[in-house]
Amino acid sequence: MTLREGARKLLEEKSVQGVLGYKRGSLPFRTRPYLFRNPQEVEELVFTPFCGTNLARYLLRLPGDFGKVAVVAKGCDSRALTVLVREHQLKRENLYILGVHCPGMVDWRKLAQWKDLKESEVAFEEGTILIRGVPHPLSSFLEASCKRCRYRSPLEYDILLGAEASPFPFEDHLAALWRLPKEKRWEFFAQELSRCIRCYACRNACPMCYCKECFAESHKPLFIHPSPTLRDNFVFHLGRAMHLAGRCVECGACERACPLGIPIATLFLAVAEIVREHFAFEAGASVEAPAPFVTYREDDPNAFIL
Amino acid sequence: MSSPWEPKIVAFLCHWCSYAGADLAGVSRIQYPPNIRVIRVPCSGSVDPLYILKALREGADGVLVSGCHPGDCHYLSGNYFARRKFFVLYELLRFLGLEGRVHFSWVSASEGQRFAEVVTSVVAAVEKLGPSPLAGERKYHDLA
Repeated sequence: MTLREGARKLLEEKSVQGVLGYKRGSLPFRTRPYLFRNPQEVEELVFTPFCGTNLARYLLRLPGDFGKVAVVAKGCDSRALTVLVREHQLKRENLYILGVHCPGMVDWRKLAQWKDLKESEVAFEEGTILIRGVPHPLSSFLEASCKRCRYRSPLEYDILLGAEASPFPFEDHLAALWRLPKEKRWEFFAQELSRCIRCYACRNACPMCYCKECFAESHKPLFIHPSPTLRDNFVFHLGRAMHLAGRCVECGACERACPLGIPIATLFLAVAEIVREHFAFEAGASVEAPAPFVTYREDDPNAFIL
Repeated sequence: MSSPWEPKIVAFLCHWCSYAGADLAGVSRIQYPPNIRVIRVPCSGSVDPLYILKALREGADGVLVSGCHPGDCHYLSGNYFARRKFFVLYELLRFLGLEGRVHFSWVSASEGQRFAEVVTSVVAAVEKLGPSPLAGERKYHDLA
């Protein structure tokens, strides 16, 4: 069964109120999230390597009485859904997860160097991307978070559709940063954080940032000034990184949303890595394991304390 | 006339152990550098990482958070929870290349001498690093 057939079946049977998926955007290579309500629309449902948007974010915006909804989910989307169910933001019984194998998401910005490129001029084959007939390795066009993805297929689903996509090399840009001397690392982060205009697009795109009032906009207590200076940006991004510890599902939605192209997911991926390494916890991988900050062990790391 | 730079360090001390430890250091007339500004908190577990980040934002060159030894928390497990949060923050700051500015310690109420030693070592570490790179643009937008 293809994704379209699966979605149409659900809508025809009226077992769901809608199917949240992707349809083509108005610009080439862009897709947009869309809630399919009737079976005739399903022809427009697509799933391509340009469907990076984390749909879990959009479920939070549905009215509470919407009823059951089906959602197209890649590995990271399914992890986000699991976390949101754990945190009582979504009800599992109101979800029908249409799992899909992720082919790896292409950063459309990396296609900008080909002028006036049309969608019909790009094709995908086993691990390669064909641009105007010329093959290039797919891995160099992937988004940074996809390059180090460990769960491309969903962990939680009601039905799993499509075929498993070809593997691509695991590329860890965090390890490369860790290898730099600390002065170089700060130079890099200070430069990147200074560029931030604090539009909050990263927060708004994040499936885990659903607080009604964000610390960034709180006036009492006032944590940061609205002006985008390095030190305020520092508090915003590190504060968010701490809030995402043990919750970040490594989808890269923040980085995709950033209008300045700041590799901001690096911070959140680093936190996810720290939590995985030292507290043996992965967000969205298990429903039962307690979140890292609501539990402790007597033999937790202590060497960093004086 | 400007005086030579001295590190400014914000110290969050838990009411039950480290604050009493600092008090003991004081009444015992133990000498330690006067670079810390103490903020008393109920428990190290109540120190939100945002407090530490905000201290750095406001121009602190270093931050010290100190609580009861593991197992001695007045609220039984506050410092165990704190340790997890602090560890993640510590590693994250290390990743950013800001190692050595934020310090954590366990100091009990009877460890006046130890409190003085902790402060001395923290001040020395921050002094070695120089002024905080976040404290540079202090002229504008200072929060109350």
